[in-house]
Amino acid sequence: MNYPDKLIIGLANLWRMKLRSGLTILGVVIGIGALTSMIAFTSGIQKNITDTFEENDVFTSMYVTPVKADPSSIDLAETMKEGISSLDDDILDSIRTIEKVAIAHPEITFPARLKLKNKDDKTRIQALPKAMEQYKPYSDLLAGRFFSSDTAKELVINWRTLRSLGIIVKHKDIPRDFTENDSLEEYRILPPDSILGQTIELVSAKLDIGNVMKNPLKAATGTENVFTEESMPFTIVGILNVERNISAAGIKGGAIIPSETAKAIPRLDFTSVWDLLGNSGGGGQYSSIYVRVDDMQDLETVKKSLEDRGLNVFALADQLDQIRNAFLIMDAILGAIGAVALLIAALGIVNTMVMSILERTREIGIMKSIGASDHDIRTIFFAEAGSIGLVGGLFGILLGWAFAFAAQIVINQHILPNDELPVDLFYFPWWLVLGALAFGLLVSLTAGLYPAIRASRIDPVKALRHD
Amino acid sequence: MIVIENLSRIYRKGSNEVAALQDLNFRVQQGSFVSVIGRSGSGKSTLLNLIGGLDRSDEGSLFFKEKDVMQMSRRELALHRRFSVGMIFQSFNLIHSRTARENIELALAFGGKSRRERKKQAMQLLEAVGLEDRADHQPTELSGGESQRVAIARAMANKPSVLLADEPTGNLDSATSGEIIELLQNLNKQEGVTILMVTHEEDTAHAVSDHLLRLSDGKMLEERRISQ
Ligand SMILES: Nc1ncnc2c1ncn2[C@@H]1O[C@H](COP(=O)(O)OP(=O)(O)OP(=O)(O)O)[C@@H](O)[C@H]1O
Ligand SMILES: [Mg+2]
Repeated sequence: MNYPDKLIIGLANLWRMKLRSGLTILGVVIGIGALTSMIAFTSGIQKNITDTFEENDVFTSMYVTPVKADPSSIDLAETMKEGISSLDDDILDSIRTIEKVAIAHPEITFPARLKLKNKDDKTRIQALPKAMEQYKPYSDLLAGRFFSSDTAKELVINWRTLRSLGIIVKHKDIPRDFTENDSLEEYRILPPDSILGQTIELVSAKLDIGNVMKNPLKAATGTENVFTEESMPFTIVGILNVERNISAAGIKGGAIIPSETAKAIPRLDFTSVWDLLGNSGGGGQYSSIYVRVDDMQDLETVKKSLEDRGLNVFALADQLDQIRNAFLIMDAILGAIGAVALLIAALGIVNTMVMSILERTREIGIMKSIGASDHDIRTIFFAEAGSIGLVGGLFGILLGWAFAFAAQIVINQHILPNDELPVDLFYFPWWLVLGALAFGLLVSLTAGLYPAIRASRIDPVKALRHD
Repeated sequence: MIVIENLSRIYRKGSNEVAALQDLNFRVQQGSFVSVIGRSGSGKSTLLNLIGGLDRSDEGSLFFKEKDVMQMSRRELALHRRFSVGMIFQSFNLIHSRTARENIELALAFGGKSRRERKKQAMQLLEAVGLEDRADHQPTELSGGESQRVAIARAMANKPSVLLADEPTGNLDSATSGEIIELLQNLNKQEGVTILMVTHEEDTAHAVSDHLLRLSDGKMLEERRISQ
């Protein structure tokens, strides 16, 4: 008798006891369903965070800031002496010479107003070198291209900024939902191509030091305008892609301009206030420098050599370890809940199989009397247990998936704020599907172990006397 | 063919000992028809179960074609049951969830036959016992005589050289009993199958067998060869 034969006998036995087999399988379905949906949920959240990190180049990026006097540090004098307290072009140049540093540029963002046609909107402008075009998300624009040079008067804009300016980009990825505050007449829906090439005015403000000096009282009471505005025309050359994950929105500015162009724009930000207070070492002071490596493996070594130079380095990737630990705990807790459900299902299998041995004692005796070996009987019972596990596993995955699907809809429609893009909270990678199947099978075979051995050891003489 | 030496089967429970068989010695010739008679509880079934490899004893030996069945491993015993002997019982012992044909096919499956062979041979076996038209009936739909015929067909599925019949007519009326006995006789005469049959009916035993064993309290009371 070969294995398919035994499987068929096992399946026939399950089929004979449809209701009981069905209920036992249902137990496994619920167990596997609970386990997979829980794991899918934690992996989904984990994936969202990891993807966000990756999309924002977290694994290859770090930020260098000057050493701040740490009041909690015992050795305050020491930190001040060794640490670098301001960032300038010399430091930038020296960072660029460090091996494995792919790119280093000062972090420049400043508030400004963008004017398009008759609309305008306040936003933050980010200045980036053209060299950043090879990295995500700049390498992967929704439409158009990155700047042609560091001095070009070109601008790459976020779809959210365009929305504030009354333009909704006509694209499948761009949501068109409106809230009660939106008046529909204010919007135009335009295809990306007709947005590219349009001229947009960048209006920046500068503290007019001369004016403040001339009339300090009026400046202080606000009757005299101490700010002067300057406007510069830019051409929209690109539109940033839609962020695919929660919280990615708003990390970068509402629009990006070339770094050299940005230098020529008068702006009001910390650096210029610093300037105002006369604390400047003369030109090019930065609050932070962005440093990027090409390979995430190099992050640690570069970080170390930066710290050796007395710089303060912040890499978000370091935080990921902590987040990962938190997830491990969450995985463990949710996994344990699923495992308990599966354990109960396993006991159900044991119960069903033991019951069926009691009922089939005579039949087992008959099979032995016509030549079944212990091994034959064992495999038949294993086939039954395994089939329960496999069928239960398959439907369990379906149940888990269906549950995730429903929960997904509920969460996206009723819990997430309106302007958030829908998110995939559940993640069913192939390893989860295969793993759940294998686990269901393993659990059921383990549950079938004792009944199968017990069945195979049945004494045929006693069994044949049994009724 | 079968040589039994000093065979005992003692059931022990605590200090209590029940000797179902005690120090048996006899031989069975190939092709003979042996009747085992004796009062209830004399050990007839115990003897057949030992020969059939369903039970084991650690006292004495039971040679089947020169191999001591009492020394066989569990696996060897399964093979012995599968290929060397066929067994039928008073209560037929058909599997109720399977049709007549499927019962026979199951035995053929344990014998390692392919699906197609099983189907073909099961039909041939049913034909041999005159039940080809009842092939797809459940055991509950068969009469006692028909059930016992199916059981005989199933016992003969893997062509054993010995058929062990434990009161095969115990549940049948006399006419049907006669048919079953006739079937066994045919197997014995035409196919040369050695038969050991437990029976309560002395007359039948004398009429059909060439070798008679009478047991009493697990001991051999009488052994007689009858020339038919
Ligand atoms: N498992 C057991 N434990 C203890 N004693 C047993 C066991 N099985 C059988 N016996 C005893 O062994 C003796 C022989 O039993 P056996 O079934 O062989 O008798 P039998 O001759 O076939 O009787 P019957 O004609 O009623 O079928 C009996 O006394 C019985 O009580
Ligand atoms: Mg008996």
